Amino acid sequence: MSAQKIKAGINLHAILKNLEDLVAFDDDARKLIGNRKMCIRFSVKNGPEAWVKFEKGKCTVGRGKAPKPNVILWFSSCEHLNKMFDGKANPIPLKGFTKLSFLQKEFTQLTKRLEYFLRPENVEKLDEHYIKMNTNFTLTIAAYALPEIALFDERAKFTASHLPDGTLQMEVLPEGPDVYLEIKAGKITAGKGKIAHPDAMMIMKDAHVANDFLNGKTDSFTAIALGDVMIKGQIPILDGINLMLDRVINYVS
Amino acid sequence: MKTYSYNKSHELFKKAAKIIPCGIYGHFSPAPLIPVSDYPFYISKAKDAHFWDVDGNEFIDYMCAYGPVILGYNNPVVESAAEMQRQQANCATAPGEIMVELADELVKTVTIADWAFFAKNGNDATTFSLMIARAKTGRKKIIRLKGGYHGVAPWTQSPDHPGIIFEDAENMLIGEWNNYEVLEDFVTKNPGEIAGIIATPYHHPTFEDNVLPAEGYWKKVEQLCKQEGIVLIIDDVRTGFRLDVRGSNEYFGFKPDLIAFCKAIGNGYPISALVGTKEMKEAASKVFYTGSYWLSAVPMAASLATILEIKENNVPEMLAEKGKKLTGGLQKIAKRHGFNLKVTGHPAMPYLRLTDDPSLMLHQEWCGECTKRGAYFTSHHNWFISAALTDTDIQKTFEIADDAFKTIKRNHPHKS
Repeated sequence: MSAQKIKAGINLHAILKNLEDLVAFDDDARKLIGNRKMCIRFSVKNGPEAWVKFEKGKCTVGRGKAPKPNVILWFSSCEHLNKMFDGKANPIPLKGFTKLSFLQKEFTQLTKRLEYFLRPENVEKLDEHYIKMNTNFTLTIAAYALPEIALFDERAKFTASHLPDGTLQMEVLPEGPDVYLEIKAGKITAGKGKIAHPDAMMIMKDAHVANDFLNGKTDSFTAIALGDVMIKGQIPILDGINLMLDRVINYVS
Repeated sequence: MKTYSYNKSHELFKKAAKIIPCGIYGHFSPAPLIPVSDYPFYISKAKDAHFWDVDGNEFIDYMCAYGPVILGYNNPVVESAAEMQRQQANCATAPGEIMVELADELVKTVTIADWAFFAKNGNDATTFSLMIARAKTGRKKIIRLKGGYHGVAPWTQSPDHPGIIFEDAENMLIGEWNNYEVLEDFVTKNPGEIAGIIATPYHHPTFEDNVLPAEGYWKKVEQLCKQEGIVLIIDDVRTGFRLDVRGSNEYFGFKPDLIAFCKAIGNGYPISALVGTKEMKEAASKVFYTGSYWLSAVPMAASLATILEIKENNVPEMLAEKGKKLTGGLQKIAKRHGFNLKVTGHPAMPYLRLTDDPSLMLHQEWCGECTKRGAYFTSHHNWFISAALTDTDIQKTFEIADDAFKTIKRNHPHKS
């Protein structure tokens, strides 16, 4: 399976997923959307499908084909989609020509706002809001990228096939964000928030630790021993997920 | 009851983390000690069944350095033998006479052994055993079992781990403990291709209940190997000399072709051994395999003294007795507090688990609470009973366990 397909899956299902919280927690992003009602479908030839829906000031991102999209953006290949995410290509609109101005203006501004929160290296002063958003997005990308690489990355596929069934809660202290993973027969599903009675827990002591840990800047053994990352429960789940998290970095630009 | 703090240990670790990968690596890494804040990281001294950390806290040790220290730390008989040899020679241009004496003792003691070969770590011996199996049979494939630990060489690891490639596992077939049919199926599907089967005498994985061999399992495996010309290798690194001085295979009633020993044979001195039948000797002689310190004399002197002490004091029986006393007592205390403490494996190296919480979180908490009161319990690994463990130590452990149970009951009233 090509790296482009994995990257396309991560772009659509993990990176784009952050639009939900961007609109929910960032005033500037919410203003861009207003009360607009619209559904955009992303369709990739021989690749993943996803949709982004704006309604009543909220954003929802989902997998697969949206039932009634106002706009369909088509990509000739996974590479085409990935180039668009890197700002080097444009999509081909198949439906919704009257909405093109929204795509070119507000939606583009929205994705630029998302990019701003994902690239702290380009920001001079990181305020509390920025750190909160960046941590939230980093954790979401890590969690939602895992199902993609578990499906298509050769090493991660092997790891996933040996993972015990169960649930893993990932938390950032003191007040979140929180995500969780459900593992069943090697298939991983990601979700936001807390679940009752997880089988394993990975608790990062603050946003800074979470960023370094999830971006592969610290080794997990040291981070755990230092108490920066606390683990408990079914460690074989954590061991496997940790191996797979290491693979995510290869596909996120 | 007073609980420990580990300021110096943790400060030292911060320094180590900057200059040593992982700070402390491998099986000594603090990462699986949960919560890490309940555990010491660095030791200052050790004696008998006790060690002291760098913060001055004293522990009754139920890990025995993860297995090597069977007779207790600084055993006077072993230390004296090592010291006497050290005064003569250790690492020199030729081996000492002690090498022949030690080989002779192993051949006399271990039932299947017609020869002995020495190295440093258990993995040296297990890897050598695979090479011998391939040299003997001219075949490539090796069967090992899921969850079985045989060291850290690439062939022993899962191919998805960093530094390991899928090709490292190319000729490895992974069976399941106590599942004879899977082995038979491998043999049927790979006719004339399987060089060896390597397994521990009983199943002692981490994070899971340990499992003894099913009735007749080993006999059937032995028969299959004989019939198909497959070399049967027993990894007795963790179990060796704890269950039976003649080899753990004797405890379970079967005869392998090769047995790898380490840990208990040196009481802390760096030495491992591979022993085998006379049919394996020629193949062993053809494989070129050595290391800078493998023929050093001091660990051999320590090993000979250790083996003689184990035999003279019938240590396996002693360990089983102490293990039963300890785990039986802990189970009673657990029950008194409304918890169920499950004990699996052999009493000399029991694996314990509180079944009241399948996630292991409660068990991890209890082990941590015991450790910071002075009984060093790990939650992920089987424990090791020391021959130096006294009744007073066991009694003290019961008091600690009782207090720890009170704490976890207070923290989780709904779980007991």
